[in-house]
Amino acid sequence: MTDLSHIRNFSIIAHIDHGKSTIADRFIQVCGGLTDREMAEQVLDSMDLERERGITIKAQSVTLSYKARDGKTYQLNFIDTPGHVDFSYEVSRSLYACEGALLVVDAGQGVEAQSVANCYTAIEQGLEVIPVLNKMDLPQAEPERVAQEIEDIIGIEAIDAVRCSAKSGQGIEDVLEELVRLVPPPVGDVDAPLQALIIDSWFDKYMGVVSLVRVTQGTLKVKDKIVTKSIGKSHVVDSLGVFNPKATNLKELRAGEVGFVVAGIKEILGAPVGDTLTHANSPDTPALPGFKKVKPQVYAGMFPVDADDFEDFREALSKLTLNDASLFFEPESSDALGFGFRCGFLGMLHMEIIQERLEREYDLDLITTAPTVVYEVLTTKGETLYVSSPSALPDTGDIEEMREPIAEANILVPQEYLGNVITLCSEKRGMQKDMQYTGSQVALRYDMPMNEVVMDFFDRLKSASRGFASLDYSFDRFEAANLVRLDVLINGDKVDALALIVHRDHSQSIGRSLVEKMKELIPRQMFDVAIQAAIGGNVISRSTVKALRKNVTAKCYGGDASRKKKLLEKQKAGKKRMKQVGRVEIPQDAFLAVLKVDS
Amino acid sequence: MSAALPSLTLPPLSLYVHIPWCVRKCPYCDFNSHQAGENLPEHEYVDALIEDLKAEAPMAQGRRIHTVFFGGGTPSLFSADAIGRILENVDRLVGLSTDAEITLEANPGTFEQARFSGYRHAGVNRLSIGIQSFQEAQLQRLGRIHGREEALAAVEVARKAGFDNLNLDLMHGLPDQTTAAARADLAQAIALAPEHLSWYQLTIEPNTHFYNAPPLLPVEDTLADIQDTGEALLAAAGYQQYEVSAYARPQRRAGHNLNYWTYGDYLGVGAGAHGKITLPESGRIVRRWKTRLPAHYLERRHGGSTGPMLAGEQTLEPEALPLDYLLNALRLNEGVPSAQFTERTGLLLQALQPAWQGLEEKGLVHPYRERLVTTDLGRRFLNDVLAAF
Repeated sequence: MTDLSHIRNFSIIAHIDHGKSTIADRFIQVCGGLTDREMAEQVLDSMDLERERGITIKAQSVTLSYKARDGKTYQLNFIDTPGHVDFSYEVSRSLYACEGALLVVDAGQGVEAQSVANCYTAIEQGLEVIPVLNKMDLPQAEPERVAQEIEDIIGIEAIDAVRCSAKSGQGIEDVLEELVRLVPPPVGDVDAPLQALIIDSWFDKYMGVVSLVRVTQGTLKVKDKIVTKSIGKSHVVDSLGVFNPKATNLKELRAGEVGFVVAGIKEILGAPVGDTLTHANSPDTPALPGFKKVKPQVYAGMFPVDADDFEDFREALSKLTLNDASLFFEPESSDALGFGFRCGFLGMLHMEIIQERLEREYDLDLITTAPTVVYEVLTTKGETLYVSSPSALPDTGDIEEMREPIAEANILVPQEYLGNVITLCSEKRGMQKDMQYTGSQVALRYDMPMNEVVMDFFDRLKSASRGFASLDYSFDRFEAANLVRLDVLINGDKVDALALIVHRDHSQSIGRSLVEKMKELIPRQMFDVAIQAAIGGNVISRSTVKALRKNVTAKCYGGDASRKKKLLEKQKAGKKRMKQVGRVEIPQDAFLAVLKVDS
Repeated sequence: MSAALPSLTLPPLSLYVHIPWCVRKCPYCDFNSHQAGENLPEHEYVDALIEDLKAEAPMAQGRRIHTVFFGGGTPSLFSADAIGRILENVDRLVGLSTDAEITLEANPGTFEQARFSGYRHAGVNRLSIGIQSFQEAQLQRLGRIHGREEALAAVEVARKAGFDNLNLDLMHGLPDQTTAAARADLAQAIALAPEHLSWYQLTIEPNTHFYNAPPLLPVEDTLADIQDTGEALLAAAGYQQYEVSAYARPQRRAGHNLNYWTYGDYLGVGAGAHGKITLPESGRIVRRWKTRLPAHYLERRHGGSTGPMLAGEQTLEPEALPLDYLLNALRLNEGVPSAQFTERTGLLLQALQPAWQGLEEKGLVHPYRERLVTTDLGRRFLNDVLAAF
């Protein structure tokens, strides 16, 4: 059977907490993919962390069978996309595998920038975008206004957009009907040489690397010999199938279909997201466009609090990279913190997620140093270096020019907060490139140092707009900038792990607030702790954590020693979260103090 | 099964007797105390204590008891007859040293004061009076049922009753307390000329009313000022500090507490009482504790074969011993003879390394050639010292 007319491949574009996962769950329920008992809440966000934070980190897919009102049964392949500003490449690959996308918008809140960016990607790739107004059950729902906003901002027709409530279930079948009616079926010659897009890959401890693929042409069968275009190594397909949502083995996947493939690939880097699969005997089949090697944008040092955990830490990172090709790490040693790793992340959220997973799933106590972007340094010898750690910066005398990465930031903000947001952007050294009024919202485009964007910009933007502004950004270029290294000294000793690269114009104020913040974070100890910030040899600010005068438990009743021990255990646990640098005990969060500074 | 400790020797033996009732529970107290009903089952409880003692007697392993402490709760809720009956049975079932120190905790209320002379006749030779403060407002806040006048009178009554060895319990670092107020309280206590003063800082413990509704306590610097001022005042008045919170006239240190602090053995009888016993024959040190609720304790007085009221027994793991020992020993200003560590834990001094060395380098402890003792700095930061073990 070569009829693809009953297949619909789609994804959902939605801002965080506009209800994507809940809608997906409803689809699964309506299509009978799981019994009620199996229907744990939000099936698709399977990692605990994803569920807690309400965001999708890894793409997943589900194949559903839907009996439409026209009496025919359709195969619906829903390809989930990550929903955060840090993961836009993964989103673009997921979208490439679809013919259509549902644009799910909260009928109370309206359109947000990230959805807009993803929507443009979808439209550019020729997808049919179907607007859906969700959360109609809420009293603040304003479907007419939001529909108008979708038309104004995105430029697609939205007046007749389906209204639904994933929470109550209202309108869910209407959404499925619209999908079937509007999303075109895939096209592709099942007899042509195999060409399949890797939408996502993850590591399964029993099967090795599992890849989610969309076959664009040809047919992929069990026992086929396949190669990934960018790697060129051949593997034999052990099994393939679909998730409905449980993994179900099939004999073949044909052009137009979406499913999983297991082919004895040992490392996730052997099946990178966005790469193309072909048969080993047709290596000339062209690769699908758009493949990129993912590059980390933010780097930070991570060190085990207990030096004995170093090997466990290395192993944990290796395991995480099995599932996360965008996580980068290499050994780093610090005078203050000993041996650890310099890790690269897509953004701050990615960093926080990795840190939490390491602590939670691998039970590691870690110290993370202040995140930094990659700087381009031209030395006096004419070399170009890429520096991702302040301590790796050459001496001032050896630097001809320092260049910082500039991001293009797209911001969408309701008019009433425009003033606040513009003030914030200029404070963050942004250069306005464009400003468009679209309905009640304003679309802003800025060139802004990547460093400013990745640190606390997103959070600041949210608070400057009471949560309504949204952001999308990408690396644009390197540009010469007047940057200096800010050193931090504790009791007179330079602590390499606390150094920062900052813009000279901001160095004084950052130095001052950093020192004050650290004073709050470092607990009082047996002696005074002097904290200084310095540039070159010059101390620009200092502060002192006054010594504690005593730390002793007043009364100790000999009888029941267990209580006193509990108290000591508690104190010990507190100490475990500190790192001794020289004689001074520094808590984990003090190493990230710069993120808590209001500059 | 952990390795036996071959070099254990039998240390001296004390006895703790717990009386689990109070007129009212104080908001800072996390001890096993229960509000007394109208009729205290005094006689039944003493019966139960005797049963308990019988079961404990073999743990004495031939030793006589050299100190007894009646703690609570409020032991002075019990009549002198009851106390006398307990002591007679202690001597009969286990054996009391002729010069045994026998302490009873007492409230300074008028009702209790009437009994002081009876206690003295019953054999109690040391009274520990829970004054806590001489300021009415503080006493009320602390939930105490006595007032300033009763506190002052208690010492006089105790003297008249024939007590020549008195301890006063006094707290500092009380809610909103200034250095001057703390000093005044302490000066008043010193003016009463007790032989011993337990002058300790209020700490908020879990499972207390204060823990759930924390009062506003003085800031760290004030607390440290109070400590410094108080220590100077006590020293000038001839009270020598020998433990974190204990001050005594010469030869008047608390024998019972010293037994805890030097890791001696003790039997614990009464509801929720804890004991610690060395068993050189099997090379073990065990902790034993009794069922906690008075009602259960009373019910089980005719109970099973493992000792009727025993709620649990635990052999201490050798790894836990250094901390267990130092937790007590390092509270003493003079520390303890180093040899005692091996006698009483069965471990070699090496077991304290490398932590001891690290603390030495930080100037927190002295080398342990002769004594295990902290430096002055280490005594002020004892919690940091202990965290190393």
